Amino acid sequence: MIWRAARELRAAGVLGMNRRNADYIMARNPRSRFPLVDDKVLTARLAEAHGVPMPAIYRVIERHRDIAGFERGLPGDGAFAVKPARGAGGMGIVLVERWGEEGFVKPNGTLVRREALYHHVSNILSGIYSLAGQPDQAIVQALIRPDDAFESVCWRGVPDIRVVVYRGVPVMAMTRLPTRASDGKANLHGGAIGAGIGIGDGRTRHAVHRSRPVDRHPDTGNPLDGIEVPHWERILLASARAFDLVGLGYLGVDQVLDREKGPVLLELNARPGLAVQIANRAGLWGRLEQVDQAPADIFASPEARVAWARRAFPGGTPAKEGT
Amino acid sequence: MKRPVLFLAGAFLLFPALLLGYRVAVLGYPFFPSVPGETWELQMEATLSRGPSRQGTLWTGLPPTGTGVTVIEEQFFSGPLDFTLYREGSNRVGLWYGAMEETEDARIFYRSVLRLRTPGPLRTPPQRAGPYPARAGREATALAQELVRRWEKLPVPTRLEAVREGARGNWGSPPPSERDRLRWAAVQRDLGTPTSLWLLFRAAGLSVRLAEGLPLAERVHTKAMRFLQVWDGNRWLRYDLESLQQISATAPVLPLARDGARAVQVLDGRLEGLRWTLTKRTPSHWRQHFDRIVRSNLFLDRWSYFHLPAEFQETFRILLLVPIGTLIIGLLRNIAGFPTFGVFMPVLMALAFRSTGLAYGLVIFTGVVALGYFLRRGLDRLRLLLVPRLSVMLTLVIAALGILALVGNRLGLREFMAVGLLPFVILTMVVERFFILVEESGFHAAIRTALGSVAVAVICYGLLHWERLQLAFFLYPELLFAVAGCQVLLGRYTGYRLSELLRFQALRARA
Repeated sequence: MIWRAARELRAAGVLGMNRRNADYIMARNPRSRFPLVDDKVLTARLAEAHGVPMPAIYRVIERHRDIAGFERGLPGDGAFAVKPARGAGGMGIVLVERWGEEGFVKPNGTLVRREALYHHVSNILSGIYSLAGQPDQAIVQALIRPDDAFESVCWRGVPDIRVVVYRGVPVMAMTRLPTRASDGKANLHGGAIGAGIGIGDGRTRHAVHRSRPVDRHPDTGNPLDGIEVPHWERILLASARAFDLVGLGYLGVDQVLDREKGPVLLELNARPGLAVQIANRAGLWGRLEQVDQAPADIFASPEARVAWARRAFPGGTPAKEGT
Repeated sequence: MKRPVLFLAGAFLLFPALLLGYRVAVLGYPFFPSVPGETWELQMEATLSRGPSRQGTLWTGLPPTGTGVTVIEEQFFSGPLDFTLYREGSNRVGLWYGAMEETEDARIFYRSVLRLRTPGPLRTPPQRAGPYPARAGREATALAQELVRRWEKLPVPTRLEAVREGARGNWGSPPPSERDRLRWAAVQRDLGTPTSLWLLFRAAGLSVRLAEGLPLAERVHTKAMRFLQVWDGNRWLRYDLESLQQISATAPVLPLARDGARAVQVLDGRLEGLRWTLTKRTPSHWRQHFDRIVRSNLFLDRWSYFHLPAEFQETFRILLLVPIGTLIIGLLRNIAGFPTFGVFMPVLMALAFRSTGLAYGLVIFTGVVALGYFLRRGLDRLRLLLVPRLSVMLTLVIAALGILALVGNRLGLREFMAVGLLPFVILTMVVERFFILVEESGFHAAIRTALGSVAVAVICYGLLHWERLQLAFFLYPELLFAVAGCQVLLGRYTGYRLSELLRFQALRARA
């Protein structure tokens, strides 16, 4: 029974946690490069140098004495996001729509008093949200105004697109759609929906919600499959370039569609999770093996890698369950 | 699997195999080391102050010899008093006595190291039925004999049950006359329950003794346990004096006084602060069985853990097993996919449970973590910085443990006081991680992880307490290399976790 299950998973090319860690993360991701993705300030600098669009960083707060009045003189329309440079899982992020004498107003309309936000930034600097609790920096970044592509299948919040990139080749992708259960956060553990996206055609398919297949968004009731992701080629190209940025062979690239700028890079992840396989109802291991067997010349440029990937993993009509 | 890994693991496994083979084949070590029986240390302390006659006299029952118990070592300290040790019937008696100054209290101390043979002190068959209680008069004895005559012909075990039922008032039919029952009630009032029970069982021709002893468990006792022992033809059955329920035979007792004697009788003076402490002495127990190693001049024997001072032997007995605990955690995490708090937390929990026992340890852990979680939620509103916040949690955890110890002292629960120094770190970290997990992944995931950690801790606890395994590693520490070999192999396991078979079920390629 157990052996059969394991054999069938292997036949489907499903990647398990142990193999991901031992054969891909440890083999392909040098420890020395981890700080480049764990620290968003470093990631942003590299992205700028390589021409990968990211939300503009207005200010980096490093010292407690720089906190008071940091909002004055910010460019743009007064909207911004504050996040920890080394945060994980979306923790510690505060979005501000506008601000005035009385305090800061979040996109959902709630008011945050000035001192409360300053205290929050102070917490970020003390390392409350950083991975090992070491002192951190706070990033003040342009607020993303999400594209309406996913409006019908999104409950508040900002949906993001995760592309898993192996040796610079985009191998699998999904979009994470916030729900009421996830409180508007694009976090699968928190109850967001994951919908697989075909690398070749850039269309959604096979959504999962809390590890179970779903066809419609639980809050909006709209169908989840067949949505065409705009700027797909640009998203794939940026993902492929992210590999050149940080040199991590097994990489998760998170992007968001901004209404005006198109796809912008949100963050990189050196240990991307395996749920993307469930969202796509396909195994990752088989695709990684395919990349390892691909001819050497496809790795020459991001464009070549994307072109190869779109041919190798076309997407198209999903295989029906049970066939 | 990669060749260097296999090579290293092979070397790690081969080395102990060779060394062990040499020890067994050439040096004559046992292949499956085991030692029968147990060794315990008993300490008794008390303070005696003088009575009106300016004398102090204290009668104490000491562990009897020749009943499955061997006294290896015995010490006493009598202060200004005289001490004498003698036999009185089936009891060994320590008698402290002498004239005492008004201002001076006598501190009394007794210590012995006892070797208990398995099956222990409960199997020695009685020579004969034993004495009648000295306090029972002729009339009472005659009445008791009259009452139990109806069961005379029954075989011993059935007779025992019948007498027991009778003692509880179920005389069967026809019941004895109203007059006899009233007279028996008077005898019971007169002699008290324990002695009247003794009388009744003895009158039925059963071997019976009223005894006092200490439950054989590592703890401090301030009172000896009093019980009735009846021979059922095969073994001594113990009965609780209040309910007449049988006391489980698997809970061993160290006898101190028999045939109606009390474990401690103050004949003159006043006794204060009496307590017995029972401690298991495992390494010194092993040492007796491996005397050859202790005296041998062979290189391997001289480098044995048996040569360490006794208190450090105790440490290494446990320490050498910790790597197996972490190997188990590795197996459960990487092969089964058990969620746990951190990597070593379950082993540390198992170590902390050693001093409190598993049941109390789990209760204390659950209680403190639950309390800590709600405090942590309250603290979250205050938005304290990381280090001060953890310090506050630490202080609260220690305060909770401190209050628990005081409560334990009032209730006489040693386990609540025995938490030791280790747990506060573990508890603080568990509270913090539990809180973060609840915030990030939800309450269900946090509970699942907590249960996973507890399950692993219980498994590790069982492992750390397995005496034969302790002895094997103590005698053959080279087995650590074998553990390391398994850990290396586990480190290169890239197959699926059992939990993933379920998680990715929808992806299976069905043939």
